[in-house]
Amino acid sequence: MSESKLMKTLATYDRRWVYLTLFIVVTIPLLRPIGMPISVSPDTKQYYDVISSVKEGDHVLFTLNTEFSGYNEIQSGVIASMRIFIEHGCKICVAVGHPEATGIPELIFNQLKKELVENGYEYGRDYVILGYVMPNEASVAAMAQNFHGAITQDWLGRPIDDTFLAEINTWEDWDLIADFTTGLATSYLMNHFALRGTPMTVNCIGVMIASQKPYVDTGVYKAILQSMRGGAELEYLTGHPGPGLTAMDAFTFGHYMLILFIIAGNIGYYGYTKKQMGGE
Amino acid sequence: MVTIIDYSIAIVGAFLAMCMFSTLYGKSSPLYALAEESYIGFGTGLTIVINAEYIWRTGIVNIMKGDYILILALILGAMILFRIHPEYNYVARIPIAIALGAQFGLSLRTIIFSGFTQQIIATIVPLFEGDAVTLLYRWTVALSVIFMMTFFFYSIELKGPLAASAKLGEYFLYTAFGAIFAQTFMGRLGLFVGFMQSFTIPPWKKPILVASMIIVFALVVIMDRTGIIEKYTPSE
Amino acid sequence: MAEILKNRELQLIAMALAFLLVFIPYFVESPALDAASTKLITITAIVNAVTLILALNSQIRRGLNIIRMRRRGWYFKAYMIATMILMVVFAFFGRETGPYHWVMYAVINPLSSVNYGILAFYMASTAARAFRARNTQAMLLLATGFIVLLYQAPLTGAYAPWLEPIALYFGDTFGMAAGRMFLISVTVGAIVFGVRVLLGKEPTVLGIGREKVDE
Repeated sequence: MSESKLMKTLATYDRRWVYLTLFIVVTIPLLRPIGMPISVSPDTKQYYDVISSVKEGDHVLFTLNTEFSGYNEIQSGVIASMRIFIEHGCKICVAVGHPEATGIPELIFNQLKKELVENGYEYGRDYVILGYVMPNEASVAAMAQNFHGAITQDWLGRPIDDTFLAEINTWEDWDLIADFTTGLATSYLMNHFALRGTPMTVNCIGVMIASQKPYVDTGVYKAILQSMRGGAELEYLTGHPGPGLTAMDAFTFGHYMLILFIIAGNIGYYGYTKKQMGGE
Repeated sequence: MVTIIDYSIAIVGAFLAMCMFSTLYGKSSPLYALAEESYIGFGTGLTIVINAEYIWRTGIVNIMKGDYILILALILGAMILFRIHPEYNYVARIPIAIALGAQFGLSLRTIIFSGFTQQIIATIVPLFEGDAVTLLYRWTVALSVIFMMTFFFYSIELKGPLAASAKLGEYFLYTAFGAIFAQTFMGRLGLFVGFMQSFTIPPWKKPILVASMIIVFALVVIMDRTGIIEKYTPSE
Repeated sequence: MAEILKNRELQLIAMALAFLLVFIPYFVESPALDAASTKLITITAIVNAVTLILALNSQIRRGLNIIRMRRRGWYFKAYMIATMILMVVFAFFGRETGPYHWVMYAVINPLSSVNYGILAFYMASTAARAFRARNTQAMLLLATGFIVLLYQAPLTGAYAPWLEPIALYFGDTFGMAAGRMFLISVTVGAIVFGVRVLLGKEPTVLGIGREKVDE
């Protein structure tokens, strides 16, 4: 192919080639994993230190403010964090902020069955699933100010009076809010819990990182775990490889693919498009 | 032990997901419409169930326990439904006003701190104390916030030092956009990789995924070549 | 009764009272006000959940319109309404197992995942076609983007550790500063908008429509 034809191709290729290439570079490493090394960022180390500092009997509000699509991205962080809380013997209350997320707690506890059994976890005494209790800011505020006034049953309609939640009245009774989010009720939790002094950590999707970092900087959030990469780093730190680490091969190739396409487009631009514009 | 239910979930899920991806072919197809309407229909049904259950648990159960003041919530809720009535839609105004007022009270009492004062306090930090890296970070953040803000001044003429500040702010903004773009792409890629992982773990799902990809792609190409796409794809 | 419900001043008074009942107890220690505020917040939470029905109404009406006019592909809208009703019916058979559970994992979860996963493709193709180093600003964007992208790819992050401090510097300073700047601007805008609504200067928000503020 002559140079000018090559430049024209690089400048005017059909976008579906990008779609196809992305599909291939993501699918193949997932079908045939390679196992690439990973470094751990300071943010993940800070997150790990914060959630590892919980003590036995601490009350943790584990909030899933994510649709199912977002869960696919942050599930490595979700599973790794829940494992840490179980191994530390915390009392865990799972609440969700989106109707699609009502099926997620079941997936989490199915994957951690072994840990639940090893640590003698019993539903009601050690963990409770509340279901969809955060549809809007008013419901989160009600939970913070008068927990039993807002919530009386778990997700299957069973009363929570004889669970560990009988000890919870207001925001002061929680030892940690561990939020896993695509941006739904996170700001409400921040406003009505974290700003009042309840420690809060966030595991967010990549899109939210820039908007959430200012809150970490001001100390409102104690730590942040960033997207799938952060989840993979947490799996590495905890010594329990999982979906995050498995996905890093595809992650790597996806990033390289984008860089190569941008470079190719710029070569095409300078080698063909700009000359065409100059000629006109 | 993989049951027939697990297989049916994987097969239907993979097929519908690939139908949704078929929009990348460049044209909408009946397969894409099937996937789209399945998601909207079942998803809306799910939302109805979950919200109805929330109203039951938070409202009606508490009313039955003696918290009769919550009857007001049901009355206001019923009034708000009149919003769709062509003649009596004014009935919804009072509940809208109460809900809006409470909502503003909830958000305004906290965003003043989290979104304004605390952000400014975190920007005005000691600029001559700490090691070299800390100073570099602090100076960059402080100057970036100030310069970027001046870039968005539209109500006064930017000249002299203000113009220079705005120009610097523009360059800092583009630098920030580069970092934000990379983080955003990481997020989007993570969503896609996470989805693909749900059909490659456990390994028995892999052939189902590959087969769905091939079948749906073949169907879309055949539909395109035979004109079925134009005939049966919904017009929107 | 209609005159009372239509009265705009009454609306503004109701809104202001609701606002004060929620706003003041946050700053003033008073158990009675706290209890009243919490009750109002719970009532608002339930009312907000009921408004879902309004959103449903427009979706179902649009679907029924398409079916009535027999526009091309109208059967897909009929299918959509049928699946909506079916899901509600399934919920009566239990949510832990059964058809509800099956639909959740076979239909909603995969399609929800694709809904957002597909954005990766659009973002990749847009970036590949639009990001051109035409001027200094674009060069800065591309340079920073490449450095952070390379760091985010775990392989490069592991074998080129010198990239980490540079990438983190760009993300934690410029990126965070931009986020902070937008946050401050949006907060000020939200406060101003909230005050305008409370003063009755935004009638459309209250559902008054095209009525003039000064009538």
